[in-house]
Amino acid sequence: MALDALTVAIDAGITGLVGANGAGKSTLVKILLGLVDPSSGSATLLGHDVVADRAAIRALVGYMPEHDCLPPEMSATEFVSWLARCSGLPAGASRERAAEVLRHVGLFEERYRPMGGYSTGMAQRVKLAQALVHDPRLLILDEPTNGLDPAGRDDMLALIQRTGREFGISVLVSSHLLGELERICDGFVLIDNGRLVRAERLGVLTGETGTLVIEVDGDADAMVSRLVAMGVAAQPERQRVLVQLPTGVDDDMLRQTYDAVRDSAVAVGAGLLRLERRRGHLEDLFR
Amino acid sequence: MSAPLPPDGQTVLRDETAIHDLGYRRYTGVHIGARGAWRALYWQGVRAMFGLGRSAKAKILPVFVLLVSLLPTLGMLVASSVAGGVVPMRYGALIPSNLALLALFVAAQAPELLSRDQQHRVLPLLFTRDVTRASYASARLAAMATALFAMASVPLLLIYFGEIGLAPKPSETFARMGTKMWPVLLQSSVTAITLSGIGAALAAWTSRRAYATASIIGAFLAATAVATGLDDLAGVSARTAELLDPLRALRTMALILFDEPTRGMELDPPGSVWGYVLPLLAMGAAGATILQLRLRKVSA
Repeated sequence: MALDALTVAIDAGITGLVGANGAGKSTLVKILLGLVDPSSGSATLLGHDVVADRAAIRALVGYMPEHDCLPPEMSATEFVSWLARCSGLPAGASRERAAEVLRHVGLFEERYRPMGGYSTGMAQRVKLAQALVHDPRLLILDEPTNGLDPAGRDDMLALIQRTGREFGISVLVSSHLLGELERICDGFVLIDNGRLVRAERLGVLTGETGTLVIEVDGDADAMVSRLVAMGVAAQPERQRVLVQLPTGVDDDMLRQTYDAVRDSAVAVGAGLLRLERRRGHLEDLFR
Repeated sequence: MSAPLPPDGQTVLRDETAIHDLGYRRYTGVHIGARGAWRALYWQGVRAMFGLGRSAKAKILPVFVLLVSLLPTLGMLVASSVAGGVVPMRYGALIPSNLALLALFVAAQAPELLSRDQQHRVLPLLFTRDVTRASYASARLAAMATALFAMASVPLLLIYFGEIGLAPKPSETFARMGTKMWPVLLQSSVTAITLSGIGAALAAWTSRRAYATASIIGAFLAATAVATGLDDLAGVSARTAELLDPLRALRTMALILFDEPTRGMELDPPGSVWGYVLPLLAMGAAGATILQLRLRKVSA
């Protein structure tokens, strides 16, 4: 199997599942959905074990696969309402729900036409609609932006974000494109070669780090040596000074560090242009 | 308004959407669960067997099979009415041509139900809903059997009611014929179960419809060839050889049921009808088991 002793807990909200192609994203998704049995270990989804409680999970989860899954001769309305019935909704309610979710994903007149003639963008919308039709509590989306042009990508991401934020549905979205996930996710899970690399709330990564970036107009090197002499961890970076702020200390200590920055700048006669905490990027994970 | 009006009330719906976007709403209605899911799969399957809800092209074969199987029936009814309804109907005469048509029907339509879902990769969407691999297999098989039962029984029922209706004294004929109802139903059910079992067991193995159709037709032809070959071998009884060929066994079963023996059967009586019914049902059951085993493994 593609996964190797992976242990991870995923919170509510929109979570990105990141990994290169073949990293094991789809396998993880299939185990969570109960399409594939794990050879060992266990997984729990919304409090239900994925193997023992499969039936309970099915009502709570909506799945949008990566691959094409639309029979070309069926219309979107027919297909989505048929799948609603396969989720155990009565026939009348299925038709209503199908019309509603298709409108939600932005498919209007086209929904009565056979799906064989749909563009990739329309097909992706239908795939999202069928995942939503039975009103799941968790959406599992496998590469939802695959094959879309930039505008289509933006639409799809906005739709996912809106679904996840406004309607209280948790979303697990897999992608190999970090930039996309950074825009919409609250947290992410990074797997590589079937192993967990990191799992974190996005804020932890893209939030403020302990590094203070100081752009100076003057002799940065001299300022660094002055700071080091004052007992502050500092290093030059081109025309900037990077100061490592002490962690786990009270505000007084932090203030002393800021004072040292000011004093050293005065001492070497450098002007302070900009002072900011460095922010993390998702790409840093891959370094 | 420049856009042409759609035929039904969709305009109203569209205008509403434009004015206030309701967005996403929770579903708070009832869930009927796995039973509802099974029915949805079953009915969609029955409709697909007849090409309903599909393109006109998909309806050609079911309509052809139905029309051609009704032609000899209508011919008999016309002949009987010309003769004043006194000629007894020969049910057995319909059977060989109808069985060939039904074999063609199952070969063409079984893949509609079992190969298409694999070809278009719909199975993962079903198996993450209230559909298990086992319930999927049983719903599809039941849909095939239902369609085959309809196709097999319609011509027989037509001559059954035709014979009664055209008779000079319908009530008298009915009293004599009333007992012929159960052979009609038994013949149609056993035919439906056997042929759908064979068709389903073969169609489930491939996502390519053409391969599935070819393998089903191939299986019927091979069975006929093997059974014919065994006829000539000493040591294998004609009865055993016959049971290897489902179409021939179904025909002999019909001739026993309708009490219309051929010359050969008069010389060598084939014995009880159950000697055919049971092996044929077993063949259908074997097909159902193979289908279940295959679907347990099919990738989703």
